[in-house]
Amino acid sequence: MTQSQGRLANKVAIITGAGCVGPGWGNGRAIAMRFAQEGARVFAVDKDMAAMTDTLALIKEFNGDVTPYTCDVTDSNAIQKLVAACIKQYGTVDILVNNVGGPVRGGPIELSEDNWDSQININLKTVFLMCKYVMPIMEAKGAGSIVNISSTSGIRFSGAPQVGYAAAKAGVIQFGRVVAVEYAKKGIRVNSVLPGLLHTPLVEAVLAGAQAGGDAEGLLKRRQARIPMSFMGDGRDTANAVLFLASDEARFITGTELIVDGGMSAKCD
Amino acid sequence: MFRLDGKVALVTGCGTLGEGWGNGKAISVALARQGASIFGSDLNIEAAQQTKKIIEEEGGIAHVITADATQADEVKKLVDACMAQYGRIDILINNVGRSEPGDPVSMSEQIWDDQMDINVKAAFLACKYVLPIMEAQGKGSIVSISSVAGLRYVGKPQVGYAAGKAALMQLTKTTGVLYAERGVRLNCVAPGLVFTPLVKRLADKYAKGDFEGFVAHRHKQVPAGYMGDAWDVANTVVFLASDEARYITGQTIVVDGGLTSTTP
Repeated sequence: MTQSQGRLANKVAIITGAGCVGPGWGNGRAIAMRFAQEGARVFAVDKDMAAMTDTLALIKEFNGDVTPYTCDVTDSNAIQKLVAACIKQYGTVDILVNNVGGPVRGGPIELSEDNWDSQININLKTVFLMCKYVMPIMEAKGAGSIVNISSTSGIRFSGAPQVGYAAAKAGVIQFGRVVAVEYAKKGIRVNSVLPGLLHTPLVEAVLAGAQAGGDAEGLLKRRQARIPMSFMGDGRDTANAVLFLASDEARFITGTELIVDGGMSAKCD
Repeated sequence: MFRLDGKVALVTGCGTLGEGWGNGKAISVALARQGASIFGSDLNIEAAQQTKKIIEEEGGIAHVITADATQADEVKKLVDACMAQYGRIDILINNVGRSEPGDPVSMSEQIWDDQMDINVKAAFLACKYVLPIMEAQGKGSIVSISSVAGLRYVGKPQVGYAAGKAALMQLTKTTGVLYAERGVRLNCVAPGLVFTPLVKRLADKYAKGDFEGFVAHRHKQVPAGYMGDAWDVANTVVFLASDEARYITGQTIVVDGGLTSTTP
């Protein structure tokens, strides 16, 4: 596949959180990989360059076009530099994937005020800030597609108390809907993907410690029991949904959500 | 991965009355372009044959028969005929459907019953006969065409259609959970205002034949400023039918240019 072929041929895509906390298919890595496979020029952003090493190597294997960039996307000044760097490298931005985010455990009593603020910042304000600085470029060219990674935690109780994460991810969904309507006539589409329980490297690297005393296998088993399908999806399932929404195949889809959860949110018992 | 080579797709309502691209025709052609073999049905055999002709001219494979998707015996025959032809069914597209005007007072009981039959019972019947085949295969994907009318009031009185399409989405959600472990996925596509040859007939039904005024009004209703077309629906169907959507079930993808995200 060269950059002139594929479902995202020659499109420039900024993907935030493109690294991965361990081997396997995290959402950011899988999105960067799938986009590059489909001909996109990928501006891959992570706060930790080392986390992107494997992502970059995977894309280079098939001569995909990727430019890594380190940035803390909760920082407005840093984002302005990021966007300028992407323009300098590729000349434009066609697609923005806001993938940065992550949960902190706790209900209103347990969660500290600082953690509440940081949950809103990392899961919701990052989306706002990236849109603030990328949308003018899309508006000027009259075209663009933004895909935000929300979560089924934004529409349901997810089994673990994580009230900041849940509220912020719900915020991402509604942010996407209202911005989509406002910018529909200007050619910018905004949609959300809501992954459910996935088997990503995050399970072993973070969640097993945070939720299961280090027992990753037990945690995976409990997660699987809640999924109607007989398997747990991974970052590639998120990536394929993001790819569809980002592509011109979805040119009439805006202000909506795509749930990728093996049927979990369709049931409550 | 997006390819559907070797897969068999059964599409109800595969024809378009008249020229242009209706959902059934575009869906059938789009699936065939990805490599699927098509078995199509339609009440109108000429419309179905036109779809078949297009697919064959593009080098694809299609068979079509006439069938009334609201009659159990005809649906059974349709499924049997598809099995006799191809020996399997990987994809089922429940595309038949129709809107009739009316609220509870003005709509006759007969029209209400017909609306339920065409908009939701047809999908129930197709699932009844196709699900055992997909279960035996251990895999299958069913995509039903719903409508934003099943989610919102969209500007015209069509209470049977609205209730029928909402029922279709919930049929899909619950059956999706029931069959998830058996490898069968069920999802809906809910198109918003789409510019297909059907719009001419809708203008006769809802706007006293003022086609141009009706079209202009529909374009204006959409936040994007324009109606979508049958290909927007078809692309979404192909995505849901394909293995790229292997972890997606019980869902509805809204294809409406932002319509249901806003208020008037």
